[in-house]
Amino acid sequence: MNGLTSARHVWSYRALFLVLCFCIITLMLLPLGLNDAGLPGPDLLLAVTFAWLLRQPAVVPIASILIVFLLADFLFQRPPGLWTLLVIVTSESLRRRRLTMTEFPFLVEWSAFTGAVIGMVILNHLTLWILMVDLPPLGLTLAHGLVTAAIYPLVVLVSKFLFGLRKIGPAEAEAL
Amino acid sequence: MAKDPYDEDYARPVRRLLLTVLVLCLIALVLVWRIDNPRVERMRAAVIDRVVPNMEWAMAPITGLARMVDDFQSYARLFEQNQELRRELQQMRAWREAALQLEQENARLLDLNRVQLDPELTFVTGIVMADAGGPFRRSVLINVGARDGILDGWATMDGLGVVGRVSGVGERTSRVLLLTDSNSRIPVTILPSGQQALLMGDNTQAPILEFIEDVEDVSAGDRVVTSGDGGLFPPGLLVGQIVQTTDRRLRARLAADLARLNFLRVMRSHPGTSLGAPGDLIGPPWPPPEGFVLPPGIQPTPRPDAAARLLRDGVFP
Repeated sequence: MNGLTSARHVWSYRALFLVLCFCIITLMLLPLGLNDAGLPGPDLLLAVTFAWLLRQPAVVPIASILIVFLLADFLFQRPPGLWTLLVIVTSESLRRRRLTMTEFPFLVEWSAFTGAVIGMVILNHLTLWILMVDLPPLGLTLAHGLVTAAIYPLVVLVSKFLFGLRKIGPAEAEAL
Repeated sequence: MAKDPYDEDYARPVRRLLLTVLVLCLIALVLVWRIDNPRVERMRAAVIDRVVPNMEWAMAPITGLARMVDDFQSYARLFEQNQELRRELQQMRAWREAALQLEQENARLLDLNRVQLDPELTFVTGIVMADAGGPFRRSVLINVGARDGILDGWATMDGLGVVGRVSGVGERTSRVLLLTDSNSRIPVTILPSGQQALLMGDNTQAPILEFIEDVEDVSAGDRVVTSGDGGLFPPGLLVGQIVQTTDRRLRARLAADLARLNFLRVMRSHPGTSLGAPGDLIGPPWPPPEGFVLPPGIQPTPRPDAAARLLRDGVFP
């Protein structure tokens, strides 16, 4: 066992992930940006979750995703469960494709993330449309997805240098 | 040695089963939300009620700090602001004079007419605790709830104009849907032309005015007040002023300062007495109560309105 997969490391990062997510939720709830129309802000929760998932999947178990996103669904006035569902399904698919991604440069990972986010946004929109819920304009939701994709490298940098979250490559995983 | 356990895990059928069950549960949750919306929304209010007040110790200092930074930034424009304020003050003096005169006149007229002002328009004041978080929902959470007698649908104002209406009440918190939210629609009257319109939020700062009968009669700068149609809002609360955008649509610039919501007034509105049935004659209770004895010499007549043939045949045998 090396340091990156020891139980202590994994559990401390799991706790760190939960704390970080609760901090983000609290920040989003602050009654500050009440008036800023225009470009919607990024979905930081999603970016952090997927960045950590692609770095070290062990620190982002399904249970954490479920807790964080279900709480966010309830607090942010979204249809409860729908976004959580999309995040969990996408996270599983990313988890499965992760090893092929780690060998390639960052651009591949970034485009995979962008594709996943846009796909989720469109699926979300489509589902709400089928369920006949009042919809925000499609352009704004897509812009929201793109802003989230644009913030992704920054989130990765912060995770890497501030939180010391290194990518576990296949070689490392095999060698253990 | 084991491989990365979590890359291997997904292949295990147990995990797959768990995932399937989870996905089905979530789909069920969404469907239940869609089918039985009020119940799930009550659940949401309960969750918010439990979670958000606990966050307040962390949120209050950050909010305060951010507002201080905001205020500090405005020091940079101090001179400019000072000039502006002086100019405004001069204008205000003139207005104040006019207002005083009008107030006196109004008091005199009210006295002449013996007008009773509606005593039921009282309010509860709450503090804004949190906003909706997402970019597509314009709503805030305030710290008064069912405990303080708040009901769904009541109007809320800041000092000046309407902010929105209560939608969702928890025990200690309630949610105010702002006028700018894309789900917000309230009936308004445009003054001075008296046109009725619907104010529809669309996620921008100035909600759209739709369904105006005669657009020629309305011009930029007209006042928009609530009309009280539908019995939801008390009539006559100030909403804002009309502006015309470049695409020639009419929008309302809100009088309330939505960027700096701090204290909100929730207006207690009581449902007015509604006239649901045609008027009956006012008289003693009919049929007469037990033990009621007619004075001697008076014959019992059928019900007076039936005698007058106001009611159709067959109602009274």
